[in-house]
Amino acid sequence: MKFEQKEIPEGINVTQVHPLRELAVLLGGAVLIIAVVVYVLGLSAGFLARYIPFDMELELASSFVAEEEGGNRTIDFYLAQVNAQVIEAMALPEGMNITLHYTDDDTVNAFATLGGNIVVFRGLLEKLPNENSLAMLLAHEIAHVKHRDPIVSVSRGVTVGAIMSLVLGQSDLGILGNTGLYTMLHFNREMEREADREALEAVYKIYGHTRGADDLFRVLQAYHEELEGDDGFEFLQTHPLDRKRITAINSHVEQNHWSTEGEPVAIPPSFFAALKASGQHTEK
Amino acid sequence: MFELIVFLVLMTLGYLVGQFAEKKHYKSITEREKKLKELPTVASRFPPPGKRHDQSLVMGNTVISIDYFKRFVATLRNLFGGRVTSYETLLDRARRESLLRMKEQAKAMGAEYVFNVKYETASISKGRNNTIGSVEVLAYGTALVKPRDAV
Repeated sequence: MKFEQKEIPEGINVTQVHPLRELAVLLGGAVLIIAVVVYVLGLSAGFLARYIPFDMELELASSFVAEEEGGNRTIDFYLAQVNAQVIEAMALPEGMNITLHYTDDDTVNAFATLGGNIVVFRGLLEKLPNENSLAMLLAHEIAHVKHRDPIVSVSRGVTVGAIMSLVLGQSDLGILGNTGLYTMLHFNREMEREADREALEAVYKIYGHTRGADDLFRVLQAYHEELEGDDGFEFLQTHPLDRKRITAINSHVEQNHWSTEGEPVAIPPSFFAALKASGQHTEK
Repeated sequence: MFELIVFLVLMTLGYLVGQFAEKKHYKSITEREKKLKELPTVASRFPPPGKRHDQSLVMGNTVISIDYFKRFVATLRNLFGGRVTSYETLLDRARRESLLRMKEQAKAMGAEYVFNVKYETASISKGRNNTIGSVEVLAYGTALVKPRDAV
């Protein structure tokens, strides 16, 4: 018996595909599929969530919204006064009650959450130049409640989160979950734009002009610039870029031929004094 | 965002280092294969007739591990199905390296022939998620060595 060793041709057990090509095809496909699935799920969850009765949302919220702490009479009184004006202008549906919470904290922010609860932070209130911008802020948050945005966001988050953990699970593909997150942000930004539009209309109804409404975004823009220096990429953020929001509301005003001429209403100095006192109080 | 940066760094590192190591390994494999070409290794269970040699067990063992890049591509493959090409080169290298090590051992003991060559594989990180997968490939056979007194 003769043994003959022939040279084995190279690569018979290896498919000749460039690894980067393989990665590009697979990753591109996965990202595309996830984005589409999340988008469709987000749309349908958002559509269905609007049919959840507001009473049910209230019940859901009552389990975790903290009890009101002491509060400050001057601050609460003024906020309630502006809030009442805004609510009247916005024509909320029957049974939709807004609960305004003032939080003594340096955070420059405000948000609306489940059950018509709106939280405003001292940090943002201190920076507002006039009542019109305060009305814009409250109207924006109330618009979120009116559009049922908090419950829609929660429903979307739960639905998409469940699907993502089912599909990606504990695998190394967790990083792909980011695709889902960034797709979801698209919905967030749409909500913000809608709320801005609605809020602007309310401000116009109250004051007869829209002067001072965009001051809110100027304040936020200045603050964000101070914080990060740069706007960053819009697709990574929950809110539209500040300058885009300002441009958007300006063009909305123009379209509706709303007057921008008018004197902004000043915020009473006693309110700022009370804010300051409240801030110093907590520092101690 | 931070997660994404870590991921990109790991992927790039995994790719560059993995590719470099693979190229180097293949180069060494082909060189050594040429060198050991003359030593017959067959899978037949029986020794060639007429050879009255001493028999001895020879084996070569390799444990090879996967890099981050390859593992990620392979996990993506799990979603779509198809050839897990990123593992193919890895296993090819492990098999050839094991056989080479076995042949090197056989040559060192002055063997003329190796028969009954077999492969065994074992996954080292079997059933454990999120660990770097390693695989062991063992090649073994029976070497025929000419007895010294027969010369």
